[in-house]
Amino acid sequence: MIAQRVGTTALRRVAASPSNVFFTANLAKLGMTASSIQSTQTRLVATQKLTPTDAHDILAAQRLHRPVSPHLEIYDKQQTFFGGSIWQRITGSAFSGGLYVFGAAYLVAPLIGWHLESASLAAAFGGLPLAVKGGLKFLLAWPFTFHALNGVRHLTFDIGIGFKRKDIVKTGWYVWGASIVTGLYLAMFV
Amino acid sequence: MMASIARSALLRQAASASKLSLATSSAARQSIIANSVRASAFHTTSRRNLLPPLPQRVEGTVNDPAPVPEPSPSHGSYHWTFDRLVAASLIPMTITPFAAGSLNPTLDALLCATLLIHSHTGFQAIIVDYIPKYRTPRARKVFTWGLNAATVVVGLALYEFETSDVGLTEAIKRIWHA
Repeated sequence: MIAQRVGTTALRRVAASPSNVFFTANLAKLGMTASSIQSTQTRLVATQKLTPTDAHDILAAQRLHRPVSPHLEIYDKQQTFFGGSIWQRITGSAFSGGLYVFGAAYLVAPLIGWHLESASLAAAFGGLPLAVKGGLKFLLAWPFTFHALNGVRHLTFDIGIGFKRKDIVKTGWYVWGASIVTGLYLAMFV
Repeated sequence: MMASIARSALLRQAASASKLSLATSSAARQSIIANSVRASAFHTTSRRNLLPPLPQRVEGTVNDPAPVPEPSPSHGSYHWTFDRLVAASLIPMTITPFAAGSLNPTLDALLCATLLIHSHTGFQAIIVDYIPKYRTPRARKVFTWGLNAATVVVGLALYEFETSDVGLTEAIKRIWHA
C-alpha cells in the first residue's frame, strides 16, 4: 500500500520502458525519490561485549535518570496546602523547634554572656513598642491555637468521627477561622 | 531497486511532503505549525521538580522488588497509640494554666515533660516521613541520633529552667503581661 506512494511502482514502470519517465505520474514520484537518494540514512552499528554485571550496572544507572512525576504541582491545592495537616506539622515544628533552640541557648547562655532568664526576657519584651508586642504575641498565639484546635480535630479523626470528605473540608475551614479569632483574642486581650 | 534500509526514510519524507503540500494556504500551514508546537510541548517533560528525588540505589538486580520492611508493633501500632495518648493528655494540661492562672511546680514539670515527649515524637514522624532509611541510610541515622541528643539537651535545659528560674508557664505569663 505505501510502496506505491514511495515510488517503487514508478521506478518499476520506468525500468520497464524508459520512455515512460516523462509521464506525470512517474515524474512527480521519481523527482521525490531521486532527491532523497542522496539523503537516505545509513546507520553504522557497532557492538560491544558486556558481562552480565556490566549490563546490570548500565541498566541501574539508566534508572537513576527516570523523570519524577509531578505531584505537589498538580494536586488539589485546597487539600494539600490548606487542608490542615501540613499546617499542623508546620506550626508544631515551629513551636518545638523554638523550644529546642531556646533550651540549647539557655544552657549555653552563661558561657557566652547572654541573659536568657525569664526576668531579662520579660524586661526586654516590655520595652518594645505596643504594635510590635501585639504582633509578636499574635505570631506566638496563632500557631498555638491552630495546632491545639487542629490537634483536637485530628484526634477525632483518629477515633473515626467526621471522616467524610465534606466534613473534613468543613471542619478544616472552621479550625482556620477559630484559630485566627482565638489567636487575636489571646494576643490582644489576655 | 530500493534497498530496504532506505525505504523508511522515503516513507517519512513522502508523508511529510504530502502533508505540507496539502496545506497550500499560509494560514493552514501556520495552524499546523502552531498545533505541532503545542503537541511537542505536551510530549516533553518539564524539569520543574518541586521536590527533587532522593538518591536512588539498586540492591540486587534491577528486577528485584523493593524490600518490604519487617513489621514491628513497638515502632508501629504501639508507637501510634502512645503518640495519640500523649497528645490527648496535653489538651487538659494546656488549658489548666489559662484557667488557673499559673501552675504549681509539679504540674508545670509534668507539662514540660509531656511537651518534650510530644515534640520528640513529632520530630521523629517528620524524620521518618522525609528521610527514608532505604534511600538515605546515613542521613537517617545522623538525624535520628541528632534528635535524640537534642531532646536530652532540651530536657536538661527545661529542668534547669524549672529549678533555677520560675518555670515555663510562669515565664510565659510574665513575658506576655510585660
